[in-house]
Amino acid sequence: MSDIVSAAAPARSGLPWALWKAQLLAVLRLELRKGFRRPWGLVLLALAPIFILVLRLLIPRAVDDPSDIAEATTFFAGVYQAFSLRIVIFLACVAVFGNLIRREVLDRSLHYYFLSPMRRELLVVGKYLTGLIVTFVLFGLATVGAFFLAYLPHESTAVQRFLFQGPGLGHLGAYLLVTFLACVGYGAVFLAFGFFFKSPALPALAFFGWEGIHFLLPPLLKKFSVIHYLQSLCPVPLDEGPIAMLSDAPSPWVAIPGVIVMAAVLIALSAWKIRTMEVSYEEE
Amino acid sequence: MTVKQPVGDGRIVFENVSKFYGEVLGVNRVSLSVLPGITGLVGPNGSGKTTLMNLTAGLLRPTRGRISVLGMSADRPEELFRHVGYSTQYDAFPPGLTGYQFIESFLRVHGFAAKEAEAMTWKAIERVGLTEAAGRKVAGYSKGMRQRIKLAQAISHQPSVLILDEPLNGLDPMARAEVIALFRELADGGLHVLVSSHILHEVDLISDQVVLINGGYVIAEGDISGVRDEMEEEHPVQVLIRCDRPSLLASRVFEQDHVVEARLDDDGKGLLVRTRDADSFHLLLNEVVLANGLTIEGVAPADSDVNAVYQYLIGSNGEKS
Repeated sequence: MSDIVSAAAPARSGLPWALWKAQLLAVLRLELRKGFRRPWGLVLLALAPIFILVLRLLIPRAVDDPSDIAEATTFFAGVYQAFSLRIVIFLACVAVFGNLIRREVLDRSLHYYFLSPMRRELLVVGKYLTGLIVTFVLFGLATVGAFFLAYLPHESTAVQRFLFQGPGLGHLGAYLLVTFLACVGYGAVFLAFGFFFKSPALPALAFFGWEGIHFLLPPLLKKFSVIHYLQSLCPVPLDEGPIAMLSDAPSPWVAIPGVIVMAAVLIALSAWKIRTMEVSYEEE
Repeated sequence: MTVKQPVGDGRIVFENVSKFYGEVLGVNRVSLSVLPGITGLVGPNGSGKTTLMNLTAGLLRPTRGRISVLGMSADRPEELFRHVGYSTQYDAFPPGLTGYQFIESFLRVHGFAAKEAEAMTWKAIERVGLTEAAGRKVAGYSKGMRQRIKLAQAISHQPSVLILDEPLNGLDPMARAEVIALFRELADGGLHVLVSSHILHEVDLISDQVVLINGGYVIAEGDISGVRDEMEEEHPVQVLIRCDRPSLLASRVFEQDHVVEARLDDDGKGLLVRTRDADSFHLLLNEVVLANGLTIEGVAPADSDVNAVYQYLIGSNGEKS
């Protein structure tokens, strides 16, 4: 056991960080190998917004004025915020994070992790990071693809000017940041649902409803929805209609740490839950 | 063969352990101390064997009581599972992995470096005789191969305690013999091997000591002959003697107070004796043989196996006697 002993040697802080890192990487490797071999469902979900933008390319006269970049910017903002963020990424996070533990219970294979000499909290973190990597890579790429498809029917010089001399790349960066934070936030919520509910589908549906009526909520309640913070970081505000309850959008200095802190709290709760979790598949 | 140095206090200890699933009893007031060697956990399906094993490995938490494995608690899995390997009864595996990947991946989760994990994986696979199938997906394995790859995974990190829930299920006779030999080798190396089975004669063959469990209660424990001796008063020991003059022997044994019954075999060459004092009977047998020049073909206990002991203890209706 020479290698493991050297890896387990406590660092100056007294904690075996090297061992934890090795175990975390091993969980990531194993999760990617067994859990996401053929993620065709997720890929289809990621392609859904791209499909809408391809339709826009194919439908004649879908673009009124090819030199009007603002039209593409507004169209993409609508597709991203109303469809990608609220539906596609949300559903993907339900499917990925809600099943990280649940699927292993149904497959009756969770005990292999529980019988490993690893802190169970590390397993939660490892599984969460796997979900984060998978969802962000997939939906980050989909966001980039959809963004460029939105500008494809427009004049190339105007698009180049918008991208390299205007705010274009900044917009793309902001959308990627929102995609990342959506995976962070929704991921943590559904990871926790997987621990606290036998069937996470019902609470996920309720949460979907809550996020869906966010624009109707009074300002105080808006603060308890994830979309409130994500939407505030989008570069182009979306018109939510005449019945929407208006409120001040939180600043990025509140929104970004807000989502991260919420995720950290939910991951900590999940880690607390897994410490006392029993494996008795018969009850499932 | 390397002999394992004892870890902690060298015992698996259950102190008044109970486990309830809501209202349903899993095990009740179990107090045990398991020493190195092969310990057979015997009982019918649903008797609490798996619950006891899952409690030992921390997959379940006791409702009451305390469990210590070599002085360690399941509350610290990072310490406990360096020393414990468990092959559960669940015939399930992480999807998409080959036999090799299954073992190697979890050795990496232990924290072993790539090269060391690779070497340990091959060693474990060789020990269970699955080298040729190691590159194939576990999903395509036969039941016997799946049992063996689970066993390989449980022993791959060279544990001091090996817990095996129905490990012989699905194995053909040849594989059974090989796996039993492996258990023996591991136990002789100083390991605690805790084996469960509902097939009593199987456990009788391999165990150094047995724990008999029924309805969630431990009804007896120890080496099987010791358990049998304690039951002599209530259930006299049966001994079958094959000899040339069984009638003569019968007349002599009938004079003894401790002999309850002596019955001649139909072929006239055997005598079945029921006695409450097996030691005295064997002394008497020696005397009769020497005094009368009897030719003995064989002397064998007729009800000292774990099967008979179990039947005496739980009765035909499964109730503790």
